[in-house]
Amino acid sequence: MAVAQRSRRSRYRLLLLILTAVTLLTLDFRGYGPLETAQSRVRDILEPVVSAVDVVLGPVAEVWTVMFSYNDLRTENEQLQAEVDSLRSADIRAAARDDALDRLLDATGVTYVDDIEQVTASVLRDSVGNFDDDIVSIDVGHRDGVAPGMAVVTAAGLVGRVETVDTAQSTVTMISNPNLVIGVRLIDTGDVGLGHGMAGEQTRFVIDTGLRWPETGDLSELPAISSAVVTAAGSRYPANIPVGRVAAVEPAEAGLVQLVTVDLAADVDDLGFVTVLLQVPVDTAPIGPDSPFLGEQSP
Amino acid sequence: MTAPRMASTPVRRGLSSLRGSVLMASLRVFVVYMAALLLQLTLFVEVRVVGVAPELPALVAILAGLLGGAQKGSVVAFLAGLMWDVYLPTPLGLAAVSFALVAFGLGSITEDLFHDTRVQTGLLVFAGTAASVAVYAVLGEVVGQRGLLDDDLLKVVLVSSAFNAVLSLAVAPAMRWAVWGGRAREPSADSAGAVARIGR
Repeated sequence: MAVAQRSRRSRYRLLLLILTAVTLLTLDFRGYGPLETAQSRVRDILEPVVSAVDVVLGPVAEVWTVMFSYNDLRTENEQLQAEVDSLRSADIRAAARDDALDRLLDATGVTYVDDIEQVTASVLRDSVGNFDDDIVSIDVGHRDGVAPGMAVVTAAGLVGRVETVDTAQSTVTMISNPNLVIGVRLIDTGDVGLGHGMAGEQTRFVIDTGLRWPETGDLSELPAISSAVVTAAGSRYPANIPVGRVAAVEPAEAGLVQLVTVDLAADVDDLGFVTVLLQVPVDTAPIGPDSPFLGEQSP
Repeated sequence: MTAPRMASTPVRRGLSSLRGSVLMASLRVFVVYMAALLLQLTLFVEVRVVGVAPELPALVAILAGLLGGAQKGSVVAFLAGLMWDVYLPTPLGLAAVSFALVAFGLGSITEDLFHDTRVQTGLLVFAGTAASVAVYAVLGEVVGQRGLLDDDLLKVVLVSSAFNAVLSLAVAPAMRWAVWGGRAREPSADSAGAVARIGR
C-alpha cells in the first residue's frame, strides 16, 4: 500500500516536472523577456568563477590538446606551408585576380560594412556541449553596445549572428548552424532567397527557399558556379555582407525551385577574432506576404 | 571532566542532525553539481575524445536518480538540467525534462536491483547517459531544433556515455557523499528499503 502510494506520488511529481518544462519551453519559444534576463543574470553571476576556473585548468587542457592534436597540427602545418609556397609562386596572377574581383564588387555595388559601427571581439571559448558545434562565446556584451540579432563578420564575410548577450560576453550562432536562416541575394541573377547551414558541413550553406527554377527551362537563368552570394537588403542583417560562392545548383520540389549550395566565404572553424556590426537588428523583415524573408528566423 | 562531555553531546547531536538534514544534503548536491558544471564549461571544452565531451551535468542527474531514487532524483535531475539549459542554445527546459525522465526511469528500474560494484555503476551510467543524450536529441527535434538527429548522434551517444562511465569512478563517491552524507542508504529512501550501495 505504502509502496503504491509512493509510486503514485513519484509519478505526480514527474508529471509536475514535465508540465514545468513544457511551460518553460513555451515561454522561451515566445521570447518571454524576463526568462531571458534571468538566464543572462545567472551567466553573469557565474562568469567570474568560470573565468577563474578556466585560467586554473587552462594548462591541463593545453597539455591534452598538445598530446592528442600533435599529429593533426603537424599535418595542418605542412598543408599551410604548401599553401604559402603556392601563394608565393602565384603572386602575380593573384594580383590580377584581385583587381578583377575589385572591379566585380564595384560593378555589383557591394559596400562591405563601411558605414556601420563595429566592435572587435575575441572568441573566448567554443561550444560547451555536444550538440552546439556552431556556437561560440565572445568577449563583448551589453556594455559594448552589442544586442541580440546583430551580424558577426570577419574580413572574409558573414560568420554568424549574436544570440544571447550578457554584460561582458555574448554567444554567437555560426552561419553553419542549420537553425540560423538568412536572407541572401545571388549577385549573378539578383534573385533573393532564404538559406541556412547544412548539418555536419561546416563550410557549406544551402539556399532552399524563394528561388524558382526557370519555367522556360533556360539554364542560363541559373546563377553561375562561383558567382557571389551576399546578404540581401530587406533581410534582418545589413545588406551586401559576403556569404559565399555558388558551388552547385540543382532542382528540388519536383523541379519547381532551385536548391543552391554555397561554399561559405568565411571559415567558421577555429576563429580567433570576429567583428560585431553594431546595427540594431530588424525584428521583422519589412516586406510583403510573398517575400521569401517571411521565413527568416533565428535558431 | 563530566561537564564538558555533557555539554558537547547536544552540540554533537545538533551537528549530526544538521549533517543529515535535507538542507545540508541539498547544499552538498549543489556543490558537487557546480563543480561538475564548471568542469564542463572550462576543461571539457578542450578535453574531448574524437570531438565529443562528457556530459557531466547528465552524469550528476543520473547518479541522483540512482542514489536518491525516482522521486528525489528526478527533482535533482530536473534542476541540474535547467541549470545546464542556461548554457545551451536549445530552448530552456529541454535538458531539464530529458534529465528528469531518465533519472526517474533509472531510479524506478534500479530501486530493487543490487548495484554494488563500480562496474555495475559504470554500466548504469553508460546506459543512463546514452538514454539522456538520445532523449535530448529526439525531444529537441520534436520542438523544432535542427541538426540534433544527424550522422554524428551515434558517435556522441557512445563516446559521451563511455566518458561518463569512466568519470563515474570519481563522481559517484562524491554524489554518494552529497546524497547520503557519507552514511549507508537510508531505509526511508524512495527505494522502499533497498540496501544498494553504489561505487563502494
